[in-house]
Amino acid sequence: MRFVLRLLSPLIGLVVAAIGAITTIEVVTAWLAPASSPLVVPWPAWRDGLDGLTWSSGAVRTIAIVVGVVGLLVLLVGLVARRHDVALTDPVPEVTVTTSPRSLARAVGHEVRSHADVVSASVVASQKKVVVKAGTLDAPEDVRTAVRERVDEVLTRLPLAHRPRVSVSVAATKGVK
Amino acid sequence: MSRRSRRAVARSTAADRARVLLTGLVLLALGVLVVLLGYGVFGSNRAQRPVVDPVVSDWIAGNADLTRWIAIVGGIVLLVVGLTWAVRSLRPEPRPDVLLSEVPGQRLTVEHSAIADAVRADAELIDGVSRARVRMVGTERRPALRMAVWLVEGTDVRDVWAEIDGRVLARARQAFAVDALPTAVRIELDAAASHAPRVQ
Repeated sequence: MRFVLRLLSPLIGLVVAAIGAITTIEVVTAWLAPASSPLVVPWPAWRDGLDGLTWSSGAVRTIAIVVGVVGLLVLLVGLVARRHDVALTDPVPEVTVTTSPRSLARAVGHEVRSHADVVSASVVASQKKVVVKAGTLDAPEDVRTAVRERVDEVLTRLPLAHRPRVSVSVAATKGVK
Repeated sequence: MSRRSRRAVARSTAADRARVLLTGLVLLALGVLVVLLGYGVFGSNRAQRPVVDPVVSDWIAGNADLTRWIAIVGGIVLLVVGLTWAVRSLRPEPRPDVLLSEVPGQRLTVEHSAIADAVRADAELIDGVSRARVRMVGTERRPALRMAVWLVEGTDVRDVWAEIDGRVLARARQAFAVDALPTAVRIELDAAASHAPRVQ
């Protein structure tokens, strides 16, 4: 989402600049050379279209709803676009160490899959939470305990600044062992 | 000091976020207000008023010159604000050179790419590091280092840290004769397959 923000921000800036430029151009043209007005946008046609509309007209309401929804989406992009770094403890005061949630999930995933009884595993990680879903051909309860221990071991080994909550679920997969 | 290294983690999007959030809020507020106005929340009389209100158009007709000036100045302000906004958010993040001496006539700086290459080459020599990327960030007066380090599967992060701080950064600090060089390290765990056999 940070990518969308990076794209959206200069775009909104350019739209604002364009509105300003067109307003200035049209006002100056209409004032100094009324014969060649409208120059860029057909604003007299827009003004005629607005004539006879009241605030409760359907068209006005539709446009207002569209503007509101666009505003809400832009607002959401601004709220969602933040970094999701996983902080590691700082070795010395002037060094900050981080890792990505994906890389944490990869490290946990490797460890879980290296367990002989796990046939498949998926891991989703964030700074606060690590969710492991694994499949096994054995009794899920026993494997679950073993997987949990392994995940705890990985998280102990990594110098994470905040220890995430771990949730492990193991399901039985059909197949021949 | 640790604030400076934390700021070096990634380019700040605070300004972009603030502008985008403000835009979203303004659009949302406009939409909601007009819809409420249309539904007669502010009085059913007001909902029936024309959009091109006679009160407003009469005032514009009566103060034509003033309206023009307001529109022109407003337009120029929007143009300047919008262009500044676009240029600021499109401008690449600066890579400052490091200033070693400011004595007039003996001004000495080290080019950012020289530092970045040296630190990267040093970091890639560490056991367990498969790849490293380094760049300078911040300003010439307050430079900081941003590194990304890709680790081989099964490498102990603490060993790599010790090497980065004790050897790589220590050398950089020594070379620039500074006590502290704020650094943000991004570690990609298990990024490359280990060369050790998996089954023994």
